[in-house]
Amino acid sequence: MKILLIEDDREAASYLIQALDEAGHVSHHAADGETGYAMASSMDYDVLIIDRMLPRRDGISIIESLRAEDDNTPVLILSALGEVDDRVTGLRAGGDDYLTKPYAFTELLARVEVLARRSSPNEGETHFEVGGLSLDRLSRKVERDGENILLQPREFRLLEYLMKHSGQVVTRTMLLENVWDYHFDPQTNVIDVHMSRLRSKIDKGYKGQILHTIRGAGYMIK
Amino acid sequence: MAYQSSIQIQRSQTVEIEREIRELVRLEKVRGIRSVANVVQKLARRAGPGIYYLGDEKGRKLVGNVSNFPMEVLTQNGIHTFNYSIEQALPDNIGNNTKGVGYALVSSRKLKGGFRLIVGRDIVERRGYTSIIFRGFLFGVIGIVILSLITGGITAKRVLKRIDSISDTTDKIMSGNMSQRVPITKRNDEFDRLATSLNDMLDRIENLMSGLKEVTDNVAHDLKTPLTRMRSKAEAALRKGVSAKDQRAALQATIDESDQLIRTFNALLMISRVEAGTPSGSFASFDVSEVAKDMAELYEPVAEDAGIELILKTEKEVSIYANRELIGQALVNLIENAIKYAGGGKAKNKKIVLSVGEENKNVRIEVSDNGVGIPKEDRERAVERFVRLEKSRTEAGSGLGLSLVRAVAKLHKGEFYLQDNKPGLRAIIEIPKDKQ
Repeated sequence: MKILLIEDDREAASYLIQALDEAGHVSHHAADGETGYAMASSMDYDVLIIDRMLPRRDGISIIESLRAEDDNTPVLILSALGEVDDRVTGLRAGGDDYLTKPYAFTELLARVEVLARRSSPNEGETHFEVGGLSLDRLSRKVERDGENILLQPREFRLLEYLMKHSGQVVTRTMLLENVWDYHFDPQTNVIDVHMSRLRSKIDKGYKGQILHTIRGAGYMIK
Repeated sequence: MAYQSSIQIQRSQTVEIEREIRELVRLEKVRGIRSVANVVQKLARRAGPGIYYLGDEKGRKLVGNVSNFPMEVLTQNGIHTFNYSIEQALPDNIGNNTKGVGYALVSSRKLKGGFRLIVGRDIVERRGYTSIIFRGFLFGVIGIVILSLITGGITAKRVLKRIDSISDTTDKIMSGNMSQRVPITKRNDEFDRLATSLNDMLDRIENLMSGLKEVTDNVAHDLKTPLTRMRSKAEAALRKGVSAKDQRAALQATIDESDQLIRTFNALLMISRVEAGTPSGSFASFDVSEVAKDMAELYEPVAEDAGIELILKTEKEVSIYANRELIGQALVNLIENAIKYAGGGKAKNKKIVLSVGEENKNVRIEVSDNGVGIPKEDRERAVERFVRLEKSRTEAGSGLGLSLVRAVAKLHKGEFYLQDNKPGLRAIIEIPKDKQ
């Protein structure tokens, strides 16, 4: 995956580039807003990671310009400003996701990978199948090895999100944001409890594990 | 004006002179010229500004107090004004001796037999009037000027004194004495109103400052502790002879500590942002019971794992104009708090009741548990930033949860308070239903 990182903190940037390389992605770096905008509009990237406060040109205006030019490359906004309103401004300007500094690299990586997938055409898919597990969005049926599994509405949405991003790490905050539509930071292991319930329904008593816990990161269906 | 009144005076004197002339002419008709001469002589002797003359057809004076009239006065009937020399002192009514040159207003009339009758007034009197009036005006003007200077001076001095007292106070405040207040008098004038609003503002600033100071102190304590822990963990991992496995564990512990620190910072930032007031653009109308339902559903498994029953009581739809994220966050804080503390109670069936309802014009969001509760004397303090009541000092958490709830309630012009649930704690948020 080809990633452009626009970030003025060189140390943070070099660490991030290195980590993205290790994760198997090709990443370029721009240290200011003007250079970043020039690179983003002249080259093809799968995902743009844009810091909100940049020298010479701020992140929001870069995103607005790109969107005005019909460039729909997914954008992850990085910002030290993490309040509800900041997030709303960022997403309104055309950002696809918003991550507050300081962040865990695993969180950033998971979000970048999900964003890259978002631009690919599986968005409208109605049927997902992973291993022996299948989920149909239209009939709202879930089956494991041919057996019907009854899920609560929220459990269904949880599994739907995980299956849509099968093979990708999904973090707890991503689940909270996308399945519950809240952006707060729970102190307790609230998501884990839901996941263990879901797991007991889709994995327990079947051969082979489909729902995996990724240590220090989140969950993955594969 | 002075000129106007002197004309007025001249006019009234002319009328008087004409009246005297008419009387004397009538006297001449009834009693003859001799009587007229007698009366004129008497009148001429009287002190005052009167000018009386009776002469023969050749212009010689028979009786009177003035003789050197100009020719036209002696030959032409009517009103004349002229300078003349006074033969006899005519003390005017302001005490000036007018001997010398006079100025006269006279009426001249030819009588039967060629006699000429002249009646008039010395205009010095009129001039006197004019000068009296002028002097009056002058005194008046000077008086007004002096009076206004004095009153202006007094007012200015009073105003300056009041302003000085305000600037004195601000000086003292700027030099660090925040408890100073602008003195208020009993007059209840504009200055007092200004002083009152200044004092209100100062109260607010002082509150904020003392809040800030308290927070800084607490930040120092609550952030330094984990930082110290983190540092010593890293240091220990660097020591010789530490296995790679232990080093990894130490690094993981460092990350966990820093995550907790970040969480605390985020909570702090959020509180200060909320207290400063987020722009109302983030406000919208939504159903609070829907949010409560989401939260109950989210936390129900967590509560269940902790052996606590989470019960949701909501009315059909409770619409509110608010910031959905913040209301959600406040609810989460209350629920997490309840789960944390409900476990410690003696009640057999531990439960948390989450209810949303309308009361009067308020939306009431309530989270109650039957756990250990908070003693009455500690309830106020429990809402303060960083306060974890002694017993729970060792529990995980930033001690910011309830402060954020209060900040959120205040942002929505509402209230947040804690009550005894007998046993347990009842946390209540009340927010006005109306659009703000």
